[in-house]
Amino acid sequence: MYRIRFHGRGGQGMKTASRILGTAFFLEGFEVQDAPRYGAERRGAPIFAYVRADREAINERGIIGRPDLVIVADESLVPIAAAGVMTGITGDTVILINSTVPPDLWQNRLNITGPILTLPMTTEVEDRLEARFIGALCAGAAVRLVDVISLKSLKAAIGRELEPLGPEIVKKNMEKALIAYNSMDGHAGCVKEGGGMKAEEYERPTWIDLPFDEAALSAPVIHGAATSELMKTGLWRTMRPLIDYDQCNRCWWLCSTFCPDGAIRINDEGYPEIDYEHCKGCMICLANCPPHAISAIPEEQAKGRSEGGKKS
Amino acid sequence: MKRTLLTGNGAAAWGARLAGVDYIPAFPITPQTEIIEAIANWADSGEISGRMVTLESEHSMITAAGAAAATGVRVFTATSSQGLLYGMEMLYTVAGWRAPFVLVNVSRGLSAPITLEPDHNDILAARDSGFLQIHCATCQEVLDSILLAYRLGEDERVRLPVIVNMDGFYLSFTREPVEIPNQDVVNRFLPPYDPENISFRASQPTSQAVAVLGGGPYSYFRYEMHLAAQKSIEVFDKITRQFSEEFGRSYDAVEAYRTEDAEFIFVMIGSFATKAKEAVDRLRDAGRAIGLIRPRLLRPFPEAQIRRLLNGKKGVAVIDQNLSMGKGGILYTEIASALYGQPDAPPILVSFIGGLGGRDISQEEFFEMANNIRRAVEEGSAPPPRLLYTEGEMKEVRKLQAMANVERQM
Amino acid sequence: MDETRFKRIKDLPSTHILGTGTAMCAGCGGLEAVHEVYDILGEKTVFVNAAGCMTLLSIYPFTPFRGSWLYTAMASAPAGAQGIRDALDILLEKKRIPRDEDMDVVVLTGDGSAYGMGLSATSGAMERNLDFIYLCYDNEGYGNTGQQYSSATPHAARTSTSKGPKGFPGYKKDLFSIWVAHNPLYVATVLGAEPLDLARKIEKAKELKGPRLIIALSPCPTGWDFDPSESVEIGKLAVKTGIWPLKEYIDGKVVHTKVPDRRLPVEEYLKKQGRFAHLFSPKRNDKLIGEIQESVDKYWKGI
Repeated sequence: MYRIRFHGRGGQGMKTASRILGTAFFLEGFEVQDAPRYGAERRGAPIFAYVRADREAINERGIIGRPDLVIVADESLVPIAAAGVMTGITGDTVILINSTVPPDLWQNRLNITGPILTLPMTTEVEDRLEARFIGALCAGAAVRLVDVISLKSLKAAIGRELEPLGPEIVKKNMEKALIAYNSMDGHAGCVKEGGGMKAEEYERPTWIDLPFDEAALSAPVIHGAATSELMKTGLWRTMRPLIDYDQCNRCWWLCSTFCPDGAIRINDEGYPEIDYEHCKGCMICLANCPPHAISAIPEEQAKGRSEGGKKS
Repeated sequence: MKRTLLTGNGAAAWGARLAGVDYIPAFPITPQTEIIEAIANWADSGEISGRMVTLESEHSMITAAGAAAATGVRVFTATSSQGLLYGMEMLYTVAGWRAPFVLVNVSRGLSAPITLEPDHNDILAARDSGFLQIHCATCQEVLDSILLAYRLGEDERVRLPVIVNMDGFYLSFTREPVEIPNQDVVNRFLPPYDPENISFRASQPTSQAVAVLGGGPYSYFRYEMHLAAQKSIEVFDKITRQFSEEFGRSYDAVEAYRTEDAEFIFVMIGSFATKAKEAVDRLRDAGRAIGLIRPRLLRPFPEAQIRRLLNGKKGVAVIDQNLSMGKGGILYTEIASALYGQPDAPPILVSFIGGLGGRDISQEEFFEMANNIRRAVEEGSAPPPRLLYTEGEMKEVRKLQAMANVERQM
Repeated sequence: MDETRFKRIKDLPSTHILGTGTAMCAGCGGLEAVHEVYDILGEKTVFVNAAGCMTLLSIYPFTPFRGSWLYTAMASAPAGAQGIRDALDILLEKKRIPRDEDMDVVVLTGDGSAYGMGLSATSGAMERNLDFIYLCYDNEGYGNTGQQYSSATPHAARTSTSKGPKGFPGYKKDLFSIWVAHNPLYVATVLGAEPLDLARKIEKAKELKGPRLIIALSPCPTGWDFDPSESVEIGKLAVKTGIWPLKEYIDGKVVHTKVPDRRLPVEEYLKKQGRFAHLFSPKRNDKLIGEIQESVDKYWKGI
């Protein structure tokens, strides 16, 4: 059975990727499961989708624990444990990352020896959330990597899944999928079907008898204030707003009032400061700054920069 | 203490009054209306200090009850049948808040077709909601069970809401002598409510009933409700002992009547069980070794007590006043699962469905059921489930059908 | 109360009490309104929430509130407010808690609950003269489930259950008037993009005792299909085109608090949003755009 996971951010088309690949497998005569995984997360937050395909009926269900192929549409998710990109990766798992960083550097970074491939899919835009066709690109690459699906089935799958968006968009997606497909020529068929679990040797679950806790402990109640601040929603952000303090005229703090998340505070001198741990990157501040003192840069360019969010 | 004639509804109102409830969100429904009418009158005349508010639906009523309980006051409310089902979403919801209160349900058959007379499908629909359930057979028991229910639900090991159930008409509108205990004795048994950390206060930010993500936390919170419900059996045993010391009336989790030397047992819940008691006496007069068990608690399910009482018996008849379409009697299923695999389990368990929509169960029918189990034991196999239904009743329905111009395919 | 603390934007609170880190979408117009409202109401509040997007504000063990919160269900948040208000009053009356432990009780629901499933409970709460504030974040659809149309969806909007060429065939329910018909103490419409108007209204509502109901139009990047950065601009356009009249009902009168001098054509608002894109391409639908303009003109003519 093929077990394939797509990781990206809400809005990047991971569900589309899984559906195109699922349909392509299906048209090729496979039994298929495809599903997105929803949580409370929204646009920009890490999400994933997955596909199982087999010649036999599929009895496995739910999240794929041990993938044969992991495709990462947004490289910034790789180091984020909560995104679960590396969950269940074995030496046989092929990892394909949308990145300009070469594979051997990734292997070093992640300290793994298994196969890593890279494919720059979104170089033409600054903000990865603005990039289009990522779903088709991921699906196209996956089709080549498994190499058991014909181009005809891939095209038909894109046609079926994207039909409501109109023929122009379908065409554009097909072109993009083909580019990704062709770029994986050198690795055609490198993803192999994984086997099933073995009942003779398995890791025993560490079952416990749930201890009785009095309701004072076991009611779904939070005793405390603003504990949500422990959630670092700054991870959702792909673009970073920067305040140019030479231009900021300490107006009437519209940025701070309008910021839906309350992630802009006013310091003692009356300058706004952005809380990057929680700013989701909506850019309402940028759009509404009267003296245009706020600009945006891609998040990866901002790594290690501290200025622009705090008046120094 | 005074002994007087009270309906089941009256007894329920007195139970709430003696419990010193702070808040009574209400909604009227037959045959429960008397309860809230009595409480409204007492509130108007200042005889009770509790505040009564009529909501616009049972769904809202149960929400308000749960929310007030979650704020830390003692809450009482009451409903019946369709009302209980209209509030069903909130029964499940507020139970999960772990803020205790008491709800009296006056059982009435469910629509369709709509009827006013009782059976137990309403209360059994709430079986898995997280509310504990105490089932009553007399008006006295209704009053007493409300006091027990507050002690049970408010216990720090339990903290779950409790339904006290009585049958519509057969108890709700039927007067019986009831002892109304003195307030000071009640206060000793049931002191003013201490909500401990259940509260909404300006000085203590508290977010209650929040969402969870994923099955891990969800399983924890739900299973802890189950563990608390199970724990409540032992708590119930303790508080009924204390109740008996204060008031001289005992209420075991399972009432056992003439079971010790019995070979055959009737199993029933609710007020019709007293009819079964009467039949047991008459059958005993005729030399038959038969008894009755009546679970008072249905949630938690007093499994150990039921096993102890039924193991070693030759035959058991479970009489259900409810019907799970496509399966049969619900109590029968519960009893069967409690006995399965017990080395000493009774070999014969027979299911009877009777008393649907207030349909009477006659003494003759009890005698016949007793004969049925005896025969089954002799033959070594249980007959299929039987609906208690007579030729006469069938004829009557045929007549009604003719008048309704029902075309029958002959 | 005629004197407002909020004479100009600079008077608005510069510190915000709603915690960061919630699961709301980037650019959420509803969250913008809630945080602005919370700044005025303060921490001594208990929010009673109905099923909707904001259910996910509090996910164990994370809550953004510095005060309190209770999640109820979609239909009955006002009844939850009734229970808490009554219980607090009982505790105060019986002197089991001191005065300063009291809180404002605030119902928080989306339009799905406010305009539909919860309307009966809201009606009941008003009829009982419940002392509470109701804040509806109106994003004109069942947003948390993927923006299916609700009774708050405007005519012609595309939703995930009205994808046809004409969009939603129904008309947005006039909840303001439905509420006003109950003659509660105070009703107002607000918008996060108009923070000064919002602050004055919430300030006024906070000082009153009785049913006070607020509808906040909540531009929704996800459900209305626009870039999150445009959330405020689209909100402002809703006011400038006259689509979202800012008004209040008090002392038996409806007063418009911000009347656009020269109303912009509605298409300025419509064309910014993907949910109305079918009105402009592939072919411009003058009939539908005209119909929407007409209904807005008719509203303002009646003022």
